[in-house]
Amino acid sequence: MGLGLLASRALRSSRIIRNSTRTIVSTPELKNADAAAAAAAADAPSDLPKRNPVGGARVHLPNPEDVIEVFVDGYPVKIPKGMTVLQACEIAGVDIPRFCYHSRLSIAGNCRMCLVEVEKSPKPVASCAMPALPGMKIKTDTPIAKKAREGVMEFLLMNHPLDCPICDQGGECDLQDQSMAFGSDRGRFTEMKRSVVDKNLGPLVKTVMTRCIQCTRCVRFASEVAGVEDLGMLGRGSGEEIGTYVEKLMTSELSGNVIDICPVGALTSKPFAFKARNWELKGTESIDVTDAVGSNIRIDSRGPEVMRVVPRLNEDINEEWISDKTRFFYDGLKRQRLNDPMIRGADGRFQAVSWRDALAIVAEVMHQIKPEEIVGVAGKLSDAESMMALKDLLNKMGSNNIFCEGNGMRPNADLRSGYIMNTSISGLEKADAFLLVGTQPRVEAAMVNARIHKTVKATNAKVGYVGPAADFNYDHEHLGTDPQTLVEIAKGSHPFSSALKNAKNPAIIVGAGVFDRDDKDAIFAAVDTIAKNNNVMRPDWNGLNVLLLNAAQAAALDLGLVPESDKCIESAKFVYLMGADDVNLDKLPDDAFVVYQGHHGDRGVYRANVILPASAFTEKEGIYENTEGCAQITLPAVPTVGDARDDWKIVRALSEVAGVGLPYDSLGAIRSRIKTVAPNLLEVDERQPATFSTSLRPEVSQKVSATPFTPAVENFYMTDAITRASKIMAQCSALLKK
Amino acid sequence: MSQILKSLKVPPNSASLEEARTRTFEFFRMCCRSIPHVMEVYNLHDVVSPSQLRSAAAAEVRKNANVTNPKVIDMLLFKGMEELMNIVNQSKQRHHIVGQYVVGNQGLVQDVSGKDRDASNFLKKFYSSNYS
Repeated sequence: MGLGLLASRALRSSRIIRNSTRTIVSTPELKNADAAAAAAAADAPSDLPKRNPVGGARVHLPNPEDVIEVFVDGYPVKIPKGMTVLQACEIAGVDIPRFCYHSRLSIAGNCRMCLVEVEKSPKPVASCAMPALPGMKIKTDTPIAKKAREGVMEFLLMNHPLDCPICDQGGECDLQDQSMAFGSDRGRFTEMKRSVVDKNLGPLVKTVMTRCIQCTRCVRFASEVAGVEDLGMLGRGSGEEIGTYVEKLMTSELSGNVIDICPVGALTSKPFAFKARNWELKGTESIDVTDAVGSNIRIDSRGPEVMRVVPRLNEDINEEWISDKTRFFYDGLKRQRLNDPMIRGADGRFQAVSWRDALAIVAEVMHQIKPEEIVGVAGKLSDAESMMALKDLLNKMGSNNIFCEGNGMRPNADLRSGYIMNTSISGLEKADAFLLVGTQPRVEAAMVNARIHKTVKATNAKVGYVGPAADFNYDHEHLGTDPQTLVEIAKGSHPFSSALKNAKNPAIIVGAGVFDRDDKDAIFAAVDTIAKNNNVMRPDWNGLNVLLLNAAQAAALDLGLVPESDKCIESAKFVYLMGADDVNLDKLPDDAFVVYQGHHGDRGVYRANVILPASAFTEKEGIYENTEGCAQITLPAVPTVGDARDDWKIVRALSEVAGVGLPYDSLGAIRSRIKTVAPNLLEVDERQPATFSTSLRPEVSQKVSATPFTPAVENFYMTDAITRASKIMAQCSALLKK
Repeated sequence: MSQILKSLKVPPNSASLEEARTRTFEFFRMCCRSIPHVMEVYNLHDVVSPSQLRSAAAAEVRKNANVTNPKVIDMLLFKGMEELMNIVNQSKQRHHIVGQYVVGNQGLVQDVSGKDRDASNFLKKFYSSNYS
């Protein structure tokens, strides 16, 4: 021992005050963790208060023999075998801080934030990766655990920039919250922080990679849930970074979810960047209408503006993910909006008029036309209330030509099992063989595709696909492109039929694009035969599904929106388009009078004579039924634009001006009218399965044609009036075409 | 006129309902007397007549006809006096007077046409706004 060291020791002992200021540990008893632990053990509380699991979760104990008991902070808790220490703690009501652990992703165990003390273990264990063992005594609140968290926190913050004031995650950041809760109140770090080059992940996800704490949640999400191997980890040690290996965009329809799972501000929403702080936003729990899945969303708004859309947890429908279209189409709600009633003048230009004049003109024209020449078309974003009102109005005028776009001109609304997803979306996880007929779930219903991907990943279920060449993110067999393949499978001569036969729970999914085909009855008959031959429909399992495309389709069929004649458009003199933009009006006579009621100036407006502005789904309350037959309600998040009115109110007002007053004045009254037609639409948030199976369908003599199936959705990002008006969706589809 | 009003002081509380009643009449008369001056300073001749303003003032008073507590009447008189002072002293602007006493509570958009007379409540609400 040198003299200098001795001298410094003497000096240090004499300057106790200076020494204490250099301590990093904020709680003094942590300096001597072991002694404090012994002291804490001595006065352990004798009677513990009852604790409830985190988030009100319920524990399902399938097999009583596989139940083990562990002690969390002295509180005994029964858990099934195979659970991790972290899950046991959650059931005991203790929320363990974590960064890398995510309940829907595989376990990485690399952030070390979830360290807890386990009795008889020499050092703290990472609870997310440690299986709970019988009789384990877990301590989450001891000085050792606290010190471990404080240490981890310090290491994480070492290279994390202190830019919370300009970070979009600020206010909803896990790192921010946990450093306040578990971190130290001072830092010892004086060197330079590391910096990382930002990656370009496309127009949706903004990256600030210096903020990344290498939790690898995004990497695991991309490969396990989204099914694309785009993201990965590069480098080692302090040079570690998340990236895409080569300059490449993230090509997934679920890529936006990495924004939610990123615990820090490394991956944030590009369209939302610097737009708002999360505490300024008003959240409204609503439903997505851009596809038929009906994902549960929260619409965050500030004043009259929708600022962003984030997912809401619903285990049966979208788990906790939403597609990119759902998350980012909201800027379309601000563009191309119709805000005044308008009438097209003699010069072909629209002129804004009052509601009184617009309705008077429509009513007058409607009365001059023969009832059978009046046609109503409900758009893909229509809610059940407005479709009910429109159908009642047309019926009162003497016409029965009303249909919903996407359902085809000869929809079969008799058997509910013939147009909904009988297995239910969450039920698809039990299937072990899939036959996809003319449907590409990846673009038609991204959340259903995520379920199929999950199932294929978990159980190696076989997927057969009949349809045009398509991009899948799981293993599949492309069986053919035309309906003849179905006939072969039905006969049993196709190689895939043995896979279906051997499957325990086979699932057939028919795309709604088939509705528009002339040989749709023959295709459904072939599918029915396949189902019959392969035991697809049993009392305990119904694997025959139709995957719809639009939010309005299921409710329209439930309400009986079936046209009297399939040639009604050709002979129409008066067409009432209720938000219908994708209906083919080429064959419409030139002298026909077209009324467009809707919220966006889209395709339907080009041909319209009168425009009646309506509210979008973010501005009204409406019932939507999703593809599995679950009715859900949207709630108004923002006020309506300009002089627009709710859809059903317009129809109701028009009925009175036309002198055929509909008997309902309120949303409650129109719902009791719906109750007499389709009571299942009022069982909100609960899936109503179909009562009768499709085996009741009459025999079909039609033969399937050799025309190949066509893609039902050309562009995933632009399917309806709102998404077509969105700038972000336009950017995405430009990338898609490249 | 404003000189007279300036010299006013807050009077002591009314002892009885009778006294409050006479004070109310006195106040209303004061309002009526100030109307020609108000018409002049706010240049209201082309939008309203003195009798209309008088009935507007009377309506404001009648609004509280059911009040019987002399203390409350005193308080309302005080507020009325304050309002009158503000008007007479031109602490308000022309649009205040027009908005509060000329157009009144009926709102700016007045449907003068008789088209909607037989329309239902629903339709009337529909024409005015999406929310009701």
